[in-house]
Amino acid sequence: MASRSGKGRGLKSFINIKTIIGGAVVFLLVWLVATMTMATEQKAIFLPGVTSEGHLGFEASCASCHEGFKKVSNETCNRCHEAELEQDIHGDKKFRDIRWAEKLEKLDALTCTACHGEHVKMYGRGVHLQPDLCMACHEGIITGEMTSHEGFTADGCWTAGCHNYHDHRSISTGFLYDNLDQPPMLPVQTVPEIVVEAQLETAPSPDLKSEFLGGGT
Amino acid sequence: MKKLLAIAFSITLSLALSLGLSLTASLPAQADSITEAELNEITAQWKPSAHALADVNCSSCHQDSETKAFVEKPNYESCQSCHEGETDTFLLGKHGIRLREGQTPLTPTKARIAMKPEAHSKQMNCNACHNVHSVDTYQASVDSCLTCHNDEHSLNYKNSKHSQSFLAEGNIERPSNASVTCSTCHLQREADKSGKNTFVNHNNTYNLKPRDRMASEVCMNCHGMEYAFNSIFDNELVNSNFSRPPEIHLKSFDMVRVLQEKREGK
Repeated sequence: MASRSGKGRGLKSFINIKTIIGGAVVFLLVWLVATMTMATEQKAIFLPGVTSEGHLGFEASCASCHEGFKKVSNETCNRCHEAELEQDIHGDKKFRDIRWAEKLEKLDALTCTACHGEHVKMYGRGVHLQPDLCMACHEGIITGEMTSHEGFTADGCWTAGCHNYHDHRSISTGFLYDNLDQPPMLPVQTVPEIVVEAQLETAPSPDLKSEFLGGGT
Repeated sequence: MKKLLAIAFSITLSLALSLGLSLTASLPAQADSITEAELNEITAQWKPSAHALADVNCSSCHQDSETKAFVEKPNYESCQSCHEGETDTFLLGKHGIRLREGQTPLTPTKARIAMKPEAHSKQMNCNACHNVHSVDTYQASVDSCLTCHNDEHSLNYKNSKHSQSFLAEGNIERPSNASVTCSTCHLQREADKSGKNTFVNHNNTYNLKPRDRMASEVCMNCHGMEYAFNSIFDNELVNSNFSRPPEIHLKSFDMVRVLQEKREGK
Protein backbone atom coordinates (compact mmCIF):
# COMPACT_ATOMS: atom_id res chain seq x y z
CA MET A 1 0.00 0.00 0.00
CA ALA A 2 2.64 2.39 1.12
CA SER A 3 4.82 1.69 -1.84
CA ARG A 4 1.88 2.05 -4.28
CA SER A 5 0.89 5.43 -2.91
CA GLY A 6 4.58 6.42 -3.09
CA LYS A 7 4.60 5.55 -6.79
CA GLY A 8 1.41 7.57 -7.27
CA ARG A 9 2.97 10.59 -5.74
CA GLY A 10 6.09 10.04 -7.82
CA LEU A 11 4.15 10.03 -11.07
CA LYS A 12 2.16 13.06 -10.02
CA SER A 13 5.24 15.00 -9.08
CA PHE A 14 6.94 13.94 -12.31
CA ILE A 15 4.20 15.47 -14.40
CA ASN A 16 3.66 18.53 -12.23
CA ILE A 17 3.27 21.85 -14.00
CA LYS A 18 6.80 23.08 -13.25
CA THR A 19 8.43 20.06 -14.84
CA ILE A 20 6.22 20.34 -17.90
CA ILE A 21 7.01 24.02 -18.42
CA GLY A 22 10.71 23.46 -17.75
CA GLY A 23 10.83 20.54 -20.15
CA ALA A 24 8.97 22.48 -22.82
CA VAL A 25 11.31 25.46 -22.51
CA VAL A 26 14.40 23.27 -22.79
CA PHE A 27 12.81 21.41 -25.71
CA LEU A 28 12.06 24.61 -27.58
CA LEU A 29 15.49 26.12 -26.96
CA VAL A 30 17.43 23.04 -28.03
CA TRP A 31 15.14 22.47 -31.00
CA LEU A 32 15.58 26.08 -32.14
CA VAL A 33 19.37 26.09 -31.87
CA ALA A 34 19.78 22.62 -33.37
CA THR A 35 17.52 23.35 -36.33
CA MET A 36 19.24 26.62 -37.02
CA THR A 37 22.70 25.13 -36.95
CA MET A 38 21.82 22.03 -38.92
CA ALA A 39 20.04 23.88 -41.68
CA THR A 40 22.96 25.85 -43.10
CA GLU A 41 20.64 28.35 -44.78
CA GLN A 42 19.63 29.60 -41.36
CA LYS A 43 23.14 30.53 -40.28
CA ALA A 44 22.14 34.08 -41.18
CA ILE A 45 20.86 34.29 -37.60
CA PHE A 46 24.51 34.66 -36.53
CA LEU A 47 25.21 37.64 -38.82
CA PRO A 48 26.39 40.59 -36.75
CA GLY A 49 24.94 43.26 -39.07
CA VAL A 50 23.74 44.05 -42.58
CA THR A 51 25.81 42.39 -45.31
CA SER A 52 27.04 44.50 -48.22
CA GLU A 53 25.29 44.21 -51.57
CA GLY A 54 28.07 42.22 -53.22
CA HIS A 55 28.21 39.52 -50.54
CA LEU A 56 24.53 39.34 -49.70
CA GLY A 57 23.85 36.33 -51.91
CA PHE A 58 26.03 33.99 -49.89
CA GLU A 59 26.00 35.71 -46.52
CA ALA A 60 24.98 32.54 -44.72
CA SER A 61 28.16 30.81 -45.86
CA CYS A 62 30.29 32.06 -42.97
CA ALA A 63 33.22 29.79 -43.86
CA SER A 64 33.57 31.49 -47.26
CA CYS A 65 35.36 34.36 -45.51
CA HIS A 66 35.84 33.29 -41.91
CA GLU A 67 38.08 30.69 -40.38
CA GLY A 68 36.91 30.53 -36.81
CA PHE A 69 37.34 33.95 -35.27
CA LYS A 70 40.54 34.80 -37.18
CA LYS A 71 40.81 38.15 -38.94
CA VAL A 72 39.77 38.01 -42.60
CA SER A 73 42.95 38.02 -44.70
CA ASN A 74 43.74 39.52 -48.11
CA GLU A 75 44.08 35.96 -49.44
CA THR A 76 40.45 35.35 -48.59
CA CYS A 77 39.35 38.41 -50.59
CA ASN A 78 41.59 37.42 -53.47
CA ARG A 79 39.86 34.05 -53.80
CA CYS A 80 37.23 35.98 -55.74
CA HIS A 81 38.57 39.46 -56.42
CA GLU A 82 42.00 38.69 -57.82
CA ALA A 83 41.15 39.28 -61.48
CA GLU A 84 39.47 42.61 -60.77
CA LEU A 85 42.50 43.80 -58.83
CA GLU A 86 45.11 42.77 -61.34
CA GLN A 87 45.79 46.39 -62.26
CA ASP A 88 45.45 47.74 -58.69
CA ILE A 89 47.24 51.07 -58.71
CA HIS A 90 47.07 51.39 -54.92
CA GLY A 91 48.10 47.79 -54.39
CA ASP A 92 51.07 45.74 -53.26
CA LYS A 93 53.28 46.89 -56.09
CA LYS A 94 53.10 50.50 -54.93
CA PHE A 95 53.02 50.15 -51.19
CA ARG A 96 55.69 47.48 -50.80
CA ASP A 97 58.03 50.26 -51.95
CA ILE A 98 59.73 51.90 -48.96
CA ARG A 99 59.03 55.37 -50.37
CA TRP A 100 55.37 54.98 -49.47
CA ALA A 101 55.87 53.48 -46.00
CA GLU A 102 55.00 56.75 -44.32
CA LYS A 103 51.69 56.94 -46.15
CA LEU A 104 50.73 53.52 -44.86
CA GLU A 105 50.67 54.92 -41.35
CA LYS A 106 47.81 57.17 -42.41
CA LEU A 107 45.83 54.44 -44.12
CA ASP A 108 46.73 50.75 -44.12
CA ALA A 109 46.41 50.43 -47.89
CA LEU A 110 47.91 46.93 -47.86
CA THR A 111 45.01 45.40 -45.95
CA CYS A 112 41.71 44.98 -47.80
CA THR A 113 39.64 45.17 -44.61
CA ALA A 114 41.14 48.54 -43.65
CA CYS A 115 38.61 50.10 -46.04
CA HIS A 116 36.35 47.17 -46.88
CA GLY A 117 34.76 45.97 -43.67
CA GLU A 118 31.65 43.81 -43.71
CA HIS A 119 28.41 43.62 -41.76
CA VAL A 120 28.76 47.38 -41.01
CA LYS A 121 27.41 50.55 -42.59
CA MET A 122 28.80 51.11 -46.11
CA TYR A 123 29.28 54.28 -48.10
CA GLY A 124 29.15 52.61 -51.51
CA ARG A 125 31.58 50.27 -53.31
CA GLY A 126 31.76 48.15 -50.15
CA VAL A 127 33.71 50.88 -48.33
CA HIS A 128 32.99 51.40 -44.66
CA LEU A 129 35.38 54.33 -44.13
CA GLN A 130 33.98 57.85 -44.39
CA PRO A 131 33.90 58.92 -48.08
CA ASP A 132 36.64 61.52 -47.50
CA LEU A 133 39.19 58.72 -47.00
CA CYS A 134 41.33 60.03 -49.90
CA MET A 135 42.16 63.06 -47.79
CA ALA A 136 44.43 60.91 -45.62
CA CYS A 137 47.05 61.36 -48.35
CA HIS A 138 45.66 63.66 -51.04
CA GLU A 139 44.27 66.60 -49.10
CA GLY A 140 46.57 69.04 -50.90
CA ILE A 141 44.71 68.48 -54.14
CA ILE A 142 41.65 70.36 -52.95
CA THR A 143 43.51 72.89 -50.81
CA GLY A 144 45.62 74.66 -53.38
CA GLU A 145 48.07 72.21 -54.93
CA MET A 146 45.92 71.75 -58.00
CA THR A 147 44.10 74.75 -59.45
CA SER A 148 41.61 72.59 -61.35
CA HIS A 149 40.43 70.90 -58.14
CA GLU A 150 40.35 73.89 -55.84
CA GLY A 151 37.25 74.09 -53.71
CA PHE A 152 36.17 70.52 -54.46
CA THR A 153 34.57 68.72 -51.53
CA ALA A 154 36.61 66.21 -49.54
CA ASP A 155 34.08 63.41 -49.94
CA GLY A 156 33.45 63.69 -53.67
CA CYS A 157 36.56 62.10 -55.24
CA TRP A 158 34.97 58.70 -55.76
CA THR A 159 31.38 59.20 -54.68
CA ALA A 160 30.88 61.54 -57.66
CA GLY A 161 32.23 58.81 -59.94
CA CYS A 162 35.33 60.71 -61.07
CA HIS A 163 38.01 58.54 -59.44
CA ASN A 164 38.49 54.84 -58.94
CA TYR A 165 40.87 53.98 -56.09
CA HIS A 166 41.98 50.63 -57.49
CA ASP A 167 41.85 51.20 -61.22
CA HIS A 168 42.96 54.44 -62.83
CA ARG A 169 43.03 53.12 -66.37
CA SER A 170 39.80 54.60 -67.60
CA ILE A 171 39.66 57.69 -65.50
CA SER A 172 43.20 59.07 -65.50
CA THR A 173 43.91 62.44 -67.04
CA GLY A 174 45.97 60.71 -69.73
CA PHE A 175 43.08 58.45 -70.72
CA LEU A 176 40.60 61.31 -70.86
CA TYR A 177 43.08 63.48 -72.75
CA ASP A 178 43.73 60.82 -75.38
CA ASN A 179 40.06 60.06 -76.01
CA LEU A 180 38.55 63.55 -76.11
CA ASP A 181 36.40 64.52 -79.09
CA GLN A 182 35.67 61.01 -80.31
CA PRO A 183 32.44 60.64 -82.31
CA PRO A 184 29.42 58.98 -80.59
CA MET A 185 29.99 55.84 -82.68
CA LEU A 186 33.61 54.81 -83.16
CA PRO A 187 34.54 54.10 -86.78
CA VAL A 188 35.73 50.61 -85.80
CA GLN A 189 33.80 48.51 -83.26
CA THR A 190 35.82 46.00 -81.33
CA VAL A 191 33.46 43.37 -79.94
CA PRO A 192 35.19 40.08 -80.70
CA GLU A 193 33.47 37.49 -82.85
CA ILE A 194 33.15 33.94 -81.53
CA VAL A 195 33.97 31.31 -84.07
CA VAL A 196 33.06 27.69 -83.40
CA GLU A 197 34.63 25.26 -85.79
CA ALA A 198 32.91 21.94 -86.35
CA GLN A 199 35.13 18.89 -86.07
CA LEU A 200 32.64 16.51 -87.67
CA GLU A 201 30.48 16.94 -90.75
CA THR A 202 27.52 15.09 -89.27
CA ALA A 203 26.52 14.22 -85.74
CA PRO A 204 27.63 10.84 -84.38
CA SER A 205 24.98 8.32 -83.25
CA PRO A 206 23.68 9.07 -79.77
CA ASP A 207 25.54 6.75 -77.42
CA LEU A 208 23.00 6.55 -74.56
CA LYS A 209 19.30 5.83 -74.78
CA SER A 210 17.71 3.39 -72.34
CA GLU A 211 19.35 5.25 -69.44
CA PHE A 212 17.20 8.28 -70.17
CA LEU A 213 14.05 6.19 -70.37
CA GLY A 214 14.56 4.88 -66.87
CA GLY A 215 16.35 1.73 -67.96
CA GLY A 216 19.38 2.32 -65.73
CA THR A 217 22.99 1.92 -66.75
CA MET B 1 16.60 13.30 -10.82
CA LYS B 2 13.13 13.41 -12.35
CA LYS B 3 13.72 16.92 -13.61
CA LEU B 4 16.98 15.79 -15.12
CA LEU B 5 15.18 12.93 -16.83
CA ALA B 6 12.60 15.32 -18.23
CA ILE B 7 15.32 17.64 -19.53
CA ALA B 8 17.25 14.77 -21.10
CA PHE B 9 14.04 13.53 -22.72
CA SER B 10 13.32 17.01 -24.14
CA ILE B 11 16.82 17.38 -25.51
CA THR B 12 16.72 13.98 -27.20
CA LEU B 13 13.28 14.59 -28.64
CA SER B 14 14.16 18.04 -29.99
CA LEU B 15 17.45 16.84 -31.49
CA ALA B 16 15.72 13.93 -33.15
CA LEU B 17 13.02 16.21 -34.51
CA SER B 18 15.38 18.81 -35.93
CA LEU B 19 17.65 16.12 -37.39
CA GLY B 20 14.61 14.53 -38.98
CA LEU B 21 13.52 17.86 -40.41
CA SER B 22 16.91 18.71 -41.87
CA LEU B 23 17.21 15.24 -43.38
CA THR B 24 13.82 15.53 -45.02
CA ALA B 25 14.82 18.90 -46.42
CA SER B 26 17.99 17.50 -47.95
CA LEU B 27 16.49 14.38 -49.52
CA PRO B 28 17.40 14.23 -53.22
CA ALA B 29 14.60 14.76 -55.70
CA GLN B 30 13.32 11.53 -57.10
CA ALA B 31 14.93 10.58 -60.39
CA ASP B 32 12.46 11.00 -63.18
CA SER B 33 12.85 9.41 -66.56
CA ILE B 34 11.59 10.98 -69.76
CA THR B 35 9.37 9.59 -72.50
CA GLU B 36 10.69 8.30 -75.79
CA ALA B 37 9.07 11.24 -77.60
CA GLU B 38 10.88 13.70 -75.32
CA LEU B 39 14.15 11.89 -75.89
CA ASN B 40 13.64 12.05 -79.66
CA GLU B 41 13.03 15.77 -79.40
CA ILE B 42 16.22 16.27 -77.40
CA THR B 43 18.19 14.15 -79.85
CA ALA B 44 16.84 16.25 -82.71
CA GLN B 45 17.97 19.44 -80.94
CA TRP B 46 21.40 17.98 -80.29
CA LYS B 47 22.08 16.59 -83.79
CA PRO B 48 22.78 19.86 -85.64
CA SER B 49 24.30 21.50 -82.53
CA ALA B 50 27.86 22.63 -82.04
CA HIS B 51 28.15 19.92 -79.36
CA ALA B 52 27.26 17.09 -81.73
CA LEU B 53 29.60 18.41 -84.41
CA ALA B 54 32.39 18.64 -81.85
CA ASP B 55 31.80 14.96 -81.02
CA VAL B 56 30.22 15.76 -77.67
CA ASN B 57 27.86 12.81 -77.28
CA CYS B 58 25.23 11.95 -74.64
CA SER B 59 27.80 10.14 -72.51
CA SER B 60 30.17 13.12 -72.54
CA CYS B 61 27.87 14.83 -70.07
CA HIS B 62 25.52 12.10 -68.84
CA GLN B 63 28.10 9.54 -67.80
CA ASP B 64 30.75 9.78 -65.09
CA SER B 65 34.06 9.47 -66.93
CA GLU B 66 35.56 7.26 -64.20
CA THR B 67 32.79 5.15 -62.74
CA LYS B 68 30.73 5.10 -65.98
CA ALA B 69 27.64 5.67 -63.85
CA PHE B 70 24.70 7.39 -65.52
CA VAL B 71 24.34 11.05 -64.57
CA GLU B 72 20.76 12.15 -64.99
CA LYS B 73 21.28 15.84 -64.34
CA PRO B 74 24.86 16.93 -64.98
CA ASN B 75 25.90 20.00 -62.97
CA TYR B 76 28.25 22.89 -63.74
CA GLU B 77 31.30 20.68 -63.25
CA SER B 78 30.34 18.79 -66.38
CA CYS B 79 30.26 22.03 -68.42
CA GLN B 80 33.47 23.18 -66.74
CA SER B 81 35.44 20.25 -68.14
CA CYS B 82 35.30 21.95 -71.56
CA HIS B 83 34.11 25.50 -70.86
CA GLU B 84 36.57 26.36 -68.12
CA GLY B 85 36.70 30.14 -68.51
CA GLU B 86 32.95 30.48 -68.81
CA THR B 87 32.26 28.33 -65.75
CA ASP B 88 35.01 29.77 -63.58
CA THR B 89 33.79 33.30 -64.22
CA PHE B 90 30.12 32.28 -63.75
CA LEU B 91 31.04 30.98 -60.30
CA LEU B 92 32.59 34.33 -59.37
CA GLY B 93 29.56 36.42 -60.30
CA LYS B 94 26.33 36.89 -58.40
CA HIS B 95 24.63 34.18 -60.45
CA GLY B 96 27.07 31.43 -59.54
CA ILE B 97 28.79 32.41 -56.31
CA ARG B 98 26.41 30.39 -54.15
CA LEU B 99 27.33 27.22 -56.04
CA ARG B 100 31.02 28.02 -55.68
CA GLU B 101 30.54 28.37 -51.93
CA GLY B 102 28.73 25.06 -51.68
CA GLN B 103 25.25 26.52 -51.18
CA THR B 104 21.97 25.87 -52.93
CA PRO B 105 21.72 27.60 -56.34
CA LEU B 106 20.64 31.23 -56.45
CA THR B 107 16.93 31.75 -57.00
CA PRO B 108 15.35 35.07 -58.05
CA THR B 109 13.62 35.27 -54.66
CA LYS B 110 16.99 36.20 -53.18
CA ALA B 111 17.48 39.13 -55.58
CA ARG B 112 17.29 42.75 -54.45
CA ILE B 113 16.16 44.01 -57.86
CA ALA B 114 12.81 43.31 -59.50
CA MET B 115 12.33 39.75 -60.73
CA LYS B 116 9.35 38.18 -62.49
CA PRO B 117 7.12 36.47 -59.91
CA GLU B 118 6.59 33.40 -62.10
CA ALA B 119 10.38 32.85 -62.21
CA HIS B 120 10.93 33.05 -58.47
CA SER B 121 11.71 29.39 -58.02
CA LYS B 122 14.13 29.08 -60.97
CA GLN B 123 17.55 27.83 -59.93
CA MET B 124 20.65 29.46 -61.38
CA ASN B 125 22.72 26.80 -63.02
CA CYS B 126 24.22 26.65 -66.51
CA ASN B 127 20.99 25.26 -67.92
CA ALA B 128 18.88 27.99 -66.34
CA CYS B 129 19.96 30.19 -69.26
CA HIS B 130 21.30 27.75 -71.81
CA ASN B 131 19.46 25.08 -73.70
CA VAL B 132 22.27 22.59 -73.26
CA HIS B 133 21.06 20.34 -76.07
CA SER B 134 20.63 22.86 -78.87
CA VAL B 135 23.49 24.97 -77.44
CA ASP B 136 22.58 28.00 -79.51
CA THR B 137 23.33 31.21 -77.65
CA TYR B 138 20.45 33.17 -79.23
CA GLN B 139 18.11 32.38 -76.34
CA ALA B 140 20.84 32.92 -73.75
CA SER B 141 21.66 36.39 -75.10
CA VAL B 142 18.38 38.11 -74.24
CA ASP B 143 15.37 35.85 -73.64
CA SER B 144 16.97 33.92 -70.79
CA CYS B 145 17.77 37.15 -68.95
CA LEU B 146 14.23 38.44 -69.39
CA THR B 147 12.80 35.21 -68.01
CA CYS B 148 13.72 36.49 -64.55
CA HIS B 149 14.82 40.14 -64.73
CA ASN B 150 11.92 42.55 -64.37
CA ASP B 151 13.54 45.91 -63.64
CA GLU B 152 13.11 49.03 -65.75
CA HIS B 153 16.47 48.76 -67.53
CA SER B 154 15.86 45.13 -68.52
CA LEU B 155 12.27 45.67 -69.62
CA ASN B 156 13.23 48.68 -71.74
CA TYR B 157 15.81 46.70 -73.71
CA LYS B 158 13.24 45.67 -76.29
CA ASN B 159 12.57 49.33 -77.15
CA SER B 160 16.24 50.23 -77.44
CA LYS B 161 18.45 50.81 -80.45
CA HIS B 162 20.68 48.04 -79.18
CA SER B 163 17.75 45.66 -79.44
CA GLN B 164 17.10 46.67 -83.04
CA SER B 165 20.56 45.46 -84.01
CA PHE B 166 19.75 42.09 -82.43
CA LEU B 167 16.33 41.83 -84.06
CA ALA B 168 17.78 42.78 -87.45
CA GLU B 169 20.01 39.74 -87.31
CA GLY B 170 17.12 37.32 -86.80
CA ASN B 171 17.14 34.04 -84.91
CA ILE B 172 20.60 32.74 -85.66
CA GLU B 173 22.57 30.16 -83.73
CA ARG B 174 25.04 32.64 -82.27
CA PRO B 175 24.52 36.43 -82.33
CA SER B 176 27.35 38.07 -84.26
CA ASN B 177 29.30 41.07 -83.03
CA ALA B 178 26.82 43.31 -84.87
CA SER B 179 24.14 42.45 -82.31
CA VAL B 180 24.07 44.28 -79.00
CA THR B 181 22.33 41.92 -76.62
CA CYS B 182 22.14 41.81 -72.82
CA SER B 183 25.24 39.65 -72.80
CA THR B 184 27.24 41.91 -75.12
CA CYS B 185 27.45 44.33 -72.20
CA HIS B 186 26.92 42.15 -69.14
CA LEU B 187 28.66 38.90 -70.15
CA GLN B 188 31.47 40.14 -72.28
CA ARG B 189 33.43 38.38 -74.93
CA GLU B 190 37.10 38.48 -73.97
CA ALA B 191 40.41 36.92 -74.92
CA ASP B 192 41.15 33.87 -72.76
CA LYS B 193 44.32 33.29 -70.71
CA SER B 194 46.25 32.17 -73.78
CA GLY B 195 45.16 35.29 -75.65
CA LYS B 196 44.35 33.13 -78.68
CA ASN B 197 40.70 32.31 -78.12
CA THR B 198 37.66 34.35 -77.26
CA PHE B 199 35.57 33.28 -74.31
CA VAL B 200 32.48 34.75 -72.67
CA ASN B 201 33.15 36.17 -69.22
CA HIS B 202 30.15 34.90 -67.25
CA ASN B 203 30.88 37.02 -64.17
CA ASN B 204 27.96 39.39 -64.62
CA THR B 205 29.30 41.84 -62.05
CA TYR B 206 32.88 41.96 -63.37
CA ASN B 207 32.52 45.28 -65.19
CA LEU B 208 29.23 46.45 -63.74
CA LYS B 209 30.57 48.80 -61.09
CA PRO B 210 32.06 51.33 -60.63
CA ARG B 211 30.46 52.70 -63.77
CA ASP B 212 33.75 53.85 -65.29
CA ARG B 213 34.57 50.17 -65.72
CA MET B 214 31.43 49.57 -67.75
CA ALA B 215 32.05 52.72 -69.81
CA SER B 216 35.65 51.93 -70.71
CA GLU B 217 35.54 48.13 -70.90
CA VAL B 218 32.15 47.78 -72.56
CA CYS B 219 30.59 50.96 -74.02
CA MET B 220 33.87 52.14 -75.49
CA ASN B 221 34.14 49.01 -77.63
CA CYS B 222 31.69 50.83 -79.89
CA HIS B 223 31.15 54.39 -78.59
CA GLY B 224 33.38 57.40 -78.16
CA MET B 225 34.51 58.22 -74.62
CA GLU B 226 32.40 61.29 -73.92
CA TYR B 227 29.25 59.67 -75.33
CA ALA B 228 29.92 56.56 -73.24
CA PHE B 229 30.65 58.32 -69.94
CA ASN B 230 27.85 60.89 -70.35
CA SER B 231 25.44 58.00 -70.93
CA ILE B 232 26.49 55.62 -68.19
CA PHE B 233 26.43 58.30 -65.48
CA ASP B 234 22.88 59.36 -66.41
CA ASN B 235 20.56 57.24 -64.24
CA GLU B 236 17.48 58.09 -66.27
CA LEU B 237 19.21 57.04 -69.46
CA VAL B 238 20.41 53.78 -67.91
CA ASN B 239 16.87 53.00 -66.74
CA SER B 240 15.47 53.70 -70.20
CA ASN B 241 18.11 51.33 -71.63
CA PHE B 242 19.74 54.19 -73.57
CA SER B 243 16.63 55.26 -75.45
CA ARG B 244 18.17 58.58 -76.55
CA PRO B 245 21.58 60.26 -76.84
CA PRO B 246 23.02 61.52 -73.53
CA GLU B 247 22.01 64.95 -72.32
CA ILE B 248 24.29 65.38 -69.32
CA HIS B 249 27.80 66.69 -69.77
CA LEU B 250 30.40 65.55 -67.24
CA LYS B 251 32.55 68.36 -65.92
CA SER B 252 35.66 66.16 -66.05
CA PHE B 253 35.85 66.62 -69.81
CA ASP B 254 35.80 70.42 -69.48
CA MET B 255 38.63 70.16 -66.98
CA VAL B 256 40.69 68.08 -69.38
CA ARG B 257 39.93 70.53 -72.20
CA VAL B 258 41.30 73.38 -70.10
CA LEU B 259 44.44 71.34 -69.61
CA GLN B 260 44.60 70.57 -73.32
CA GLU B 261 44.34 74.26 -74.19
CA LYS B 262 47.13 75.08 -71.77
CA ARG B 263 49.41 72.35 -73.07
CA GLU B 264 48.77 72.87 -76.70
CA GLY B 265 48.48 76.65 -76.40
CA LYS B 266 45.10 76.65 -78.09
